[in-house]
Amino acid sequence: MAVCIAVIAKENYPLYIRSTPTEDELKFHYMVHTSLDVVDEKISAMGKALVDQRELYLGLLYPTEDYKVYGYVTNSKVKFVMVVDSSNTALRDNEICSMFRKLHNSYTDVMCNPFYNPGDRIQSRAFDNMVTSMMIQVC
Amino acid sequence: MELKESSLYTATTPWFESYRETFLQSMPASDHEFLNHYLACMLVASSGEAEPMEQFSKLSQEQHRIQHNSDYSYPKWFIPNTLKYYVLLHDVTSGDEQRAESIYEEMKQKYGTQGCYLLKINSRAPNRASDEQIPDPWSQYLQKNSIQHQESYEDGPCTMTSNKNSDSNLLSLDGLDNEIKVDGLPNSFRVHPLQLDQCGDPPNTDGSDHTKSASVRENKKASTGVIRGACLTLTDHDRIRQFIQEFTFRGLLPHIEKTIRQLNDQEMAAVSAFLQPGAPRPYPAHYMDTAIQTYRDICKNMVLAERCVLLSAEILKSQSKYSEAAALLIRLTSEDSDLRSALLLEQAAHCFINMKSPMVRKYAFHMILAGHRFSKAGQKKHALRCYCQAMQVYKGKGWSLAEDHINFTIGRQSYTLRQLDNAVSAFRHILINESKQSAAQQGAFLREYLYVYKNVNQLSPDGPLPQLPLPYINSSATRVFFGHDRRPADGEKQAATHISLDQEYDSESSQQWRELEEHVVAVANKGIIPSSFYPTQYCLNSYSDNSRFPLAVVEEPITVEVAFRNPLKVPLLLSDLSLLWKFQPKDVNGKDIERARERARLKLFPHHIGELHILGVVYNLGTIQGSVTVDGIGALPGCHTGKHSLSMSVRGRQDLEIQGPRLNNTKEEKTSVKYGPDRRLDPVVTEEMPLLEVFFIHFPTGLLCGEIRKAYVEFVNVSKCPLTGLKVVSKRPEFFTFGVNTAALTPLSPSTSENCSAYKTVVTGSPSAGTALVSSASSVDFGTSTGQQLEAIPVPLPDSVLLPGASVQLPMWLRGPDEEGVHEINFLFYYESVKKQPKRRHRILRHTAVICTSRSLNVRATVCRSNSLEDEEGRGGNMLVFVDVENTNTSEAGVKEFHMVQVSSSSKHWQLHKSVNISENKDAKLASREKGKFCFKAVRCKQNEAAVQSSEKYTFADIIFGNEQIISSASPCADFFYRSLSSELKKPQDLLSAHTEKHGAEEAVRLIQKCSEVDLNLVILWKAYVVEDNKQLILEGQHHVVLRTVGKEAFSQSQKQADVDVIVDLRHKTTSPEALDTHGSFTWLGQTQYKLQLRSEESRSLQLKACFVHTGVYNLGTPRVFAKLSDQVTEFETSQQNSMPALIIINNA
Repeated sequence: MAVCIAVIAKENYPLYIRSTPTEDELKFHYMVHTSLDVVDEKISAMGKALVDQRELYLGLLYPTEDYKVYGYVTNSKVKFVMVVDSSNTALRDNEICSMFRKLHNSYTDVMCNPFYNPGDRIQSRAFDNMVTSMMIQVC
Repeated sequence: MELKESSLYTATTPWFESYRETFLQSMPASDHEFLNHYLACMLVASSGEAEPMEQFSKLSQEQHRIQHNSDYSYPKWFIPNTLKYYVLLHDVTSGDEQRAESIYEEMKQKYGTQGCYLLKINSRAPNRASDEQIPDPWSQYLQKNSIQHQESYEDGPCTMTSNKNSDSNLLSLDGLDNEIKVDGLPNSFRVHPLQLDQCGDPPNTDGSDHTKSASVRENKKASTGVIRGACLTLTDHDRIRQFIQEFTFRGLLPHIEKTIRQLNDQEMAAVSAFLQPGAPRPYPAHYMDTAIQTYRDICKNMVLAERCVLLSAEILKSQSKYSEAAALLIRLTSEDSDLRSALLLEQAAHCFINMKSPMVRKYAFHMILAGHRFSKAGQKKHALRCYCQAMQVYKGKGWSLAEDHINFTIGRQSYTLRQLDNAVSAFRHILINESKQSAAQQGAFLREYLYVYKNVNQLSPDGPLPQLPLPYINSSATRVFFGHDRRPADGEKQAATHISLDQEYDSESSQQWRELEEHVVAVANKGIIPSSFYPTQYCLNSYSDNSRFPLAVVEEPITVEVAFRNPLKVPLLLSDLSLLWKFQPKDVNGKDIERARERARLKLFPHHIGELHILGVVYNLGTIQGSVTVDGIGALPGCHTGKHSLSMSVRGRQDLEIQGPRLNNTKEEKTSVKYGPDRRLDPVVTEEMPLLEVFFIHFPTGLLCGEIRKAYVEFVNVSKCPLTGLKVVSKRPEFFTFGVNTAALTPLSPSTSENCSAYKTVVTGSPSAGTALVSSASSVDFGTSTGQQLEAIPVPLPDSVLLPGASVQLPMWLRGPDEEGVHEINFLFYYESVKKQPKRRHRILRHTAVICTSRSLNVRATVCRSNSLEDEEGRGGNMLVFVDVENTNTSEAGVKEFHMVQVSSSSKHWQLHKSVNISENKDAKLASREKGKFCFKAVRCKQNEAAVQSSEKYTFADIIFGNEQIISSASPCADFFYRSLSSELKKPQDLLSAHTEKHGAEEAVRLIQKCSEVDLNLVILWKAYVVEDNKQLILEGQHHVVLRTVGKEAFSQSQKQADVDVIVDLRHKTTSPEALDTHGSFTWLGQTQYKLQLRSEESRSLQLKACFVHTGVYNLGTPRVFAKLSDQVTEFETSQQNSMPALIIINNA
């Protein structure tokens, strides 16, 4: 379903990046990296007052020829970025949004783990499985 | 953000500024526009001139001629009607002031007050100049290159004048440029016609020019030197400033204002709009955009487009519109000029970071693009700088692929710039950070790294070996082993397993060994463990206690095992691996340590005592080139000794630094993170110690339970000093014995002992028909006292010393443990040096024997008072001993049958007297699952009881079934008997005491118990006929039964102890039809079924009631008993074996 899922820390370094096992890992890294600028712009475009009640889901960040990049920012400025194949038209905004919510919940679980140091790379197996399920889900 | 504070971030880019200046300067003025067109001309004459007014008019004509004559295509003049500004230069020190004033008045009349100026300078003498540092007023207006130019032409007066002339021209223009903040607009002075006219064509010049230039030279005599303006005072500076102001505001600006409205070029309009201070309108950026687009797309004039962009970007930057500026700059980058693109990209990157909320990632990204273009343009230093700046953004952020790319480029560029150290560290980063690159990519990185590294090494071949990053060393997994490698089995000799690096660490067994050692040390030191005692550690690993310096013995190798790990997907080739060490000798004799190598195990061989520090490893790192098979991936190829391939390899080192365990004792340690020392690699080499090697000969691996087997042990002292105090300790002392006074009764060498009985036997002529042969022995003789539970058994060495090189073979009897299964039996040999050493008193040797036992016999015995039989001597106290022997062997071991050979008693008070029921089964044969019953009569010993008690003397009585007596009071039979006795005694004693405590209050009960106490021990000796490999073997063995209470059953084998649920069912039998036939004539009454739980060693009595209708003989042994383990839920219940018939005779009442 998704071809790449990334969790980016507040300070814009990756906490977690998984992409489909192709040779193009670099490309996905690049795509996620670039999308951070769009995320930043989207957040800074909103006024200070609006930040509190904003929608966490940012929607489509930018489309490329082959992929669509979606973004989601938690209140603690952790970013989730999902790259989806453009050909996959079945995927609506709603579904993307719910996928992000699932991701967010799973991320919250990771953070609740007392043995996880915030800011470390995510190495939780539960989170991994969740991401895997989101990536291989047949559309 | 943090980037801006970083030292590497350069806010200024002087190279770009100079590029821009040069670009603008070198750009030819185009026809359609008025940039670089002269707005005004300044005509300067000296007041010292004979006819200044005339000069002015001449200069004016000259200018007119240049502007309007078609000979000169350059410079361009802005408007036909060029502003002329007349300046009379007056040297205060030399000139006549009144004259100058009058000329000035004349000028004013002629050219108007707005068009002329009197400039007075040089108000002090030139000689005072040197010590005062007044800044050169001209310098800020003069280009550096023009200054150089001027100085290079210093000698020729002609050129000099021309320079001066051009200077003053430049001055005006530069001044203007400076005012309007668009620097870099000056015309190129080199092609200026006035200058050309004068120096390039001397014959054309008339005298006036000469005089003028002469006057200029005169006026500025001092300034022609290296220090210009030396004659100027601060007043002069003011005057000059005033003059420039006057010129621009009074002369130039009104003039431009007049003409500027005519400009309709959009670019110019935009610039003008920007230039107007405090303009109410915003900067019309779209003018600029349109202009650029038109230049680029329609006019195809990249140069103009670029100029336009440069101007516009500067303007936008000054207005903090960085993102627009960046977009503008990026738009101009193209394929055709790498250098230009690089410069523009770099500026764009700077724009991104200068934004109000800095866009760090964009900065880094464009920096890398710029770096890439720079490298394409051949600007290696700039490329490297760009990548380094981008690196600051990505460093340690987890964008590993990006980081790898940057590092790789930095490495390459550094290498081409011969910054080898940087190159090495950059490549190193790629390799060590758990690279996610593909195997091929990693291989390329590795080769590149090795290549660069080799170059570094060649620069300083004598320097210390550098640290290599690969492979990883798991330093905490480093193991150190002290001692020789275990010798492989030599023929029939089997070396003691001792300890080696091949053994996995097992905390349980190491704890056991530790306890054994503590015990034996305590025994050796008369029961006290010395305070200086630490358990000997031959193998140090991450689990061992490494807080103290380990002791190594001189002339004994130290083996260090280093754990390497290859993080890459490509194989690494390590060769010539050796250890690095430092040695502090205690003697001054020097040292000689040789190094050996075997896989990743490295050996040191200390030849002198002192302190050794193992620092690290040195090795050649290389790649395997050519046919690299994929299966080599992941596995470390280790250190192939084989031929070196032609691939590249470099020599380097890695240090071994082991972090100790984290300290967590004090509060301070708990709150902070502190680590203790780890001295694994810092052994202290001590003096020579004896070294023992132990070999076992004929040591069996499989035994029947209770089987006695004779083996030999060879003790060899392989060191150069004698050893003494040899002891062995084991948790299972009942397993083996060295015997007592064995020299007399056994063949000394193992070869002659084949087919000999393990026992000491005596042939008795005729069977003694079941009467006992009596002998006696003291337990003290066999080194067994029942006081201590674990014993250190001294090894009976001749003279108790083993000299260097000497070896002793001693017989050793083994008895198969009573429990069936696999037994691991640990032996710990303890020995000391003859001379006392302060550091280490003793050494140890370990051996683990693995014995597999299979079931043989199960012996059950009871003793009861004999009432009917009278003693010959008429004394009471005779007893009957019933012995049930069952062959429980499941014929897997090839055992055909067991023969009971002898039953012996051993007791302080009782002895077997004779066999009661000698049946037809004379040789007491027991085939598989057969059961034999024996009954013996026991009598009290004849010795004085008090004497027996004190001397611990046991009376042995043998009842023989064959024609050979095994002397049970001698080795090894008695040894094992005493051993088993002592191990038997420690268990039930606790129970007994607990038992007595329960009823302790009642003296009578205790007395009664005492009455039923008996201490008769039985030793059942047997022979087993075994067929193995078509050969018949006779095995011997013995079982022990300890009888303690009258009427209570005792077993040769401790019964399994578990909680059981017991069902006693009386009815069961009655339902069975055949039982009805025989025993149907009585019935159980009351409760006929009981369910109860028995804990281990618990006994419970049940009251059963029966009713008999007829007289006769009845068997009451009908109850069936079922039992199962209480913690098991399964309904599977085992039926108890049929109990013996309990007959009752009911008489007629």
